[in-house]
Parts: sequence; structure tokens; C-alpha cells
Amino acid sequence: MKKFFNLLSKEIRELVTLQLVGSLVFTFVLFYFIGQLARTEAARASAPQKIAALDLDRSDVSRGLLDSLRSVNYLIEPASGSDKEAAVEAVRRSAVNFLLVIPPGFGQAVSRFETREVETYTFMRSFSMSATRNAAVFRSVVAALNKYMSDAYLKQRIAEIPPENLKNPIKSRDFVIIKDRQAQGSAGDIAGFVFGQSIFVPIILMMIIIYSSQMVISAIAMEKQNKTLETLLTVPIRRSSIVTAKMLASGLVGLLSAAIYMAGFRFYMRGFTGDMQAGAEVSQVIEKLGLVLDAQGYIILGVSLFFAILCALALAIILGVMAEDFRSAQSLIMPVVFLVLIPYFISFFSDFGALSLPVKLFILAIPFSHPFLATQNILLENYQAVALGILYMVGVFALLVWLAARIFSTDRVLTMKLRWGRKKVVL
Amino acid sequence: MDPVLKVEGLRKSYGSLEALKGVSFQVEKGEVFGLIGPNGAGKTTALRIIATLLSPSDGRVTFLGRDLKNEPEKFRENISYLPEEAGAYRNLKGEDYLEFMARFYARSSAEEEEFLNRARDIAGLGARLKEKVGTFSKGMVRKLLLARALMTMPALTILDEPTSGLDVINSLEVREIIKKFAREGLSVLLSSHNMLEVEFLSDRVALIDRGRILDQGTSAELKDRYQAPNLEVVFRSALK
Repeated sequence: MKKFFNLLSKEIRELVTLQLVGSLVFTFVLFYFIGQLARTEAARASAPQKIAALDLDRSDVSRGLLDSLRSVNYLIEPASGSDKEAAVEAVRRSAVNFLLVIPPGFGQAVSRFETREVETYTFMRSFSMSATRNAAVFRSVVAALNKYMSDAYLKQRIAEIPPENLKNPIKSRDFVIIKDRQAQGSAGDIAGFVFGQSIFVPIILMMIIIYSSQMVISAIAMEKQNKTLETLLTVPIRRSSIVTAKMLASGLVGLLSAAIYMAGFRFYMRGFTGDMQAGAEVSQVIEKLGLVLDAQGYIILGVSLFFAILCALALAIILGVMAEDFRSAQSLIMPVVFLVLIPYFISFFSDFGALSLPVKLFILAIPFSHPFLATQNILLENYQAVALGILYMVGVFALLVWLAARIFSTDRVLTMKLRWGRKKVVL
Repeated sequence: MDPVLKVEGLRKSYGSLEALKGVSFQVEKGEVFGLIGPNGAGKTTALRIIATLLSPSDGRVTFLGRDLKNEPEKFRENISYLPEEAGAYRNLKGEDYLEFMARFYARSSAEEEEFLNRARDIAGLGARLKEKVGTFSKGMVRKLLLARALMTMPALTILDEPTSGLDVINSLEVREIIKKFAREGLSVLLSSHNMLEVEFLSDRVALIDRGRILDQGTSAELKDRYQAPNLEVVFRSALK
């Protein structure tokens, strides 16, 4: 074991270079600052908006309209200036971004049930994310005005019936059923929340698998490039220990790198999506339906991911042997990347259950697909599918390790090279 | 007395290409045995097989009475191989590299320290050993690797083109180190296409060309046999 830990420690020291640490820290800090910036912008955009209003009608109707906007959390300020041009000029010079102009005769016209236009002015002072959000403010304002006016019309004409009953005479009580559990709630809300909560799982899986594979391929390629592999293969340690130490070190460093990247990425995404918190109602429904990953769920998911990483590392070791140097190692990672991207995109954009049988079999044959499918299967209590996936990965891993150990025990570790487009015997 | 290494009818093929066509020789205890021949003669292939890196297509290699085929791991405990184009881990300091290698062979920390002290002496790099290998010149790396190969005083040291790519001064220093350890009783198998170097270092030599041993003996015997002033002329005559 002493020799193995000596080798493992060397592998880790070789992988954790100053460049790697620097790039990890830089990326983390960059993601963090972009996320913070986006969060500040989002908070600014979602704060109650100040709207300057120029009421040229001065009727009860127009005053009622403005009061209705105040009641839905808009800060309405009277615009200075007696006409439209003066008001536009005044708002242009101020920090306010919105101007609403209610034309003369507005109240009289709507009293006769005629449609009338209000004028909206949005002052675009930049094209940042908050400016994009500003563009939507007047859509909500006009929707609020229309609601207020249609409610007022209905009250005026049919006073004995609440306007809401007239506008939406049919309501629904929604139930969601998952397996043998049933709860009252909206399927859309639940699906949206679960998707929002688990959106990171496929990204994390993809990053960990690709990172670890890249590390192990690079580790072997560097041995070849630096001409250290031959010496290493003649020291008194089992070849299987060399394979294991490289896999373990690459797995650990890959896992750590992916964790740091993901922590940074989470800060970044939070800046755009905010902290995904379910309302109390949705939380209750989710709990009732058992759509929460408990400790057992996380353990099963972890086991599935662990074997997927092992499969990736074993495959990467074999690919790494074919690398001539560090540069060629970069292209040799591509088969692993493709095999990870296929289940990654399927998990994002498609429903695995709805795929045709040949496509399903193809996806299931890729060992990395199983952790991607595991989250959903655990939530839906399809434990048999998860267990079969893990067993399959154990089999693939055993096969790949056997193959890797065979390669390392024979001449192939020195003579196997992948040459694109030309064949050459290497002595 | 049994030889340290006995090579009998060694063959190695890569597809249709036969790199070794039945090579036989033996290295006695405390002897420096040199394989000389031009590039592509099969020297490196023979050394790689003996160093357990390649498996022979046919033939037998026995080391201290043990068959290489059956016990490659036992072989590795007692040999030290310095490949022609070897490098060291660029991110490790010279001292850390030696320590890393010593730990594979040392049975105790006292022995590890003994190996390291010997390596420091052989390398002669002084304070530079505290620096990363990536900052070393080619000559310094070669001395570090030679120190690594000799520090454990293995039963057999295999050196493939030990001075390859080095300047005159570094080549001289490396040769002197090998000569010094040979005098202390180390068994060495070395290869070179520099026949004068082999003549200087070796007790006995084998002439190898196109996968076959043309002749072998001490330098004096060979020069006498071919009536030649040096091994270069011996080799030319043997080829005829």
C-alpha cells in the first residue's frame, strides 16, 4: 500500500499544477461576480417601478385608473409640464424610465364603451438585462388598466354578478397523480419546480464525467510526452496499481475541479434565476407526491454517478494509451464527450419513455446514460431500473478495467497509438 | 558462477518486421556488458525486453536464475532501467523526484535515506535539486536520471544510450559516474551506437546488427580477432 500511496500522491501533485489552481480560482471568481451583477440588476428591475403619469383627461375615470395602478404596486408620480412634449422632456432629464399619457376625452369615450389609446413612453438608457426587463413594464401596466376597466364595465352593467364570475365562469380543481399518490395542485407548477430544482443535476454529471476523463487522458499523455512512462513501468509496482492510482487521482482532481466550477456556476445561474423557492402550497404538494430526493435517493444517485465516473475513467485510460502527447490527448477525449452529451441532451430536451425501442436501447447501452436517468427514476420510485443501470455499469467497468490492465501488462501500452489517416508501425 | 543475466535465442517481431532474430548473450556479476550497433539494430528492443517493457516473441531471459516470463515483478525489484529518451516529472522538484523513486525500492526509511544520499552524490546538482525538474537543462536531467538508476545499487543496471544528446563535458561526467560504479561491482548492461564510448566503459561487448549478434568478446579479443585498431573498425569488418 505504501508504494500505491506514493504513486497516488505523485499523480495528484502532477495534476494539481499552478495553472490548474489559477484557472479554477479565476473561473470561480468570474462566475461569482457575473452572478452578483446579474442579481443586482434583477433586483433593481423587479423593484416597484416609478411611472410618470400625465393625465390630460383629469376625469374620475382617469384618476381611478391611476389609483388602480398604485394598488398593484406601481409608484405613480405626476409628470411635470402641461403638455406631452414638456412631460417627455422633463422625464428625459429625470431618472424615471416610464411615462404614461392619458389623452383628453379618455373618460368620456370609455364611458361610452369606446376603445381609446393611452400613450406609453419607455426611455431606453442602455441595452442591459434590466433595460430588457423595462421593455415589459408597460405590457403589465396596460393589462392592469384593462382589468380595471373591464371590471368597472361589468359592475356598471350587471351589478349583481361579480365581474370575475362573468370573465371566468369555469374554474378547475387540479389534481396530480404519481404512481399511487395523489395531491391537489397544478401539474405545470410541479413540473416547473422539479425541473428548476434538478436542472443542475445533468450539468454536474456531465462536467464531472468529462473533467475526470480529461484528467486521466492528460495524465497518461503527459507521461508519454515527458518520456516518464517507460521508467514508471519498470519500477516494482503492479501495473494494475499504476492504472488504479491514475484513475483515482484523476477522479479526485476531476471531482474537485467540477465541484469548484459548479459552485461558481451556481452563483452565476442564481444571478439570473434567483433562489428557486417553492411556495408553501407547491412544497406541500411536492412532499405529498414524494418528489423530494431524500437521503436514500441521494445515496442511490451517488452510487450511480460513482460507477459512471469509474466507467469514464477506465475508458479514458484506454484512450490515453493511444495518445502520443498532450495535444493528441485533447482530441482523444472526444468519444467520451459525445457519449456524455447524448444522454445529457436527451435528459434536457426529450422524454426517454417516449423514445422508440432502438433509440432507447442505444441510450441504455451508453453507461453514462444511467445516472442521467436515475434522478427521474428515483423520484418516480423506479428503483429496479436504477439498480439494473448500476449493475450494467459495474459490468462495463469490470470489462474496461480488465482491458486497461491487459493493455498495461503488454507491449501495447508503449506501441498502441491512434494515427488519423495514416498507418505506421511503431517500434 | 552463474551469470546475472542470461539471454537465449531472443526474438521479437512487430507484425512482419523482425526486430530481433535470435539474440543470445550473458552478463556476469560485476561486469559492464555493452551492446553496440547502428540505429535500428535492435539494441533498444533487446533492452526493453530485459527491462520487462516488451514481451519477447520467442527465446528466454533469466535473471539471477529466475525466468522473466514468469516473474516480471521480481525482475523489476532488482533492475534499474534508464531509457534513451527518458525524462523526469517536470512539476516535481529534483529532490522530490528522487524521493518518489526511492520509495518504490526502499524497505525502511533508513534505506530510503541511504538511497537519497547516494543519489545526491551521483547527481552532483547541489542546491538545484530543490528546484523543479522543468527548470533543468538536458544534462542536469540526465544526471538526475542516472542518479535515480544507480542509487539503489541494483543487481543489474540497464542503460540505453546513456550519453545520448549530451554535450562533451556532460558525456564525460556521465561516463565517469558509470565507470566509478562499475568499479564498485555493479553489473551493467548498456547500449550505444558510440563504439568508442562502449569500448571505454565495457568489459565485454556484443556487436549487433539487423537483429543479430555478429560477434562478442572483450574489446581486446575483438580487436585482435579482426586485426583492427578500435571497435569501429571491428564493427565494419564484422559486417563484411
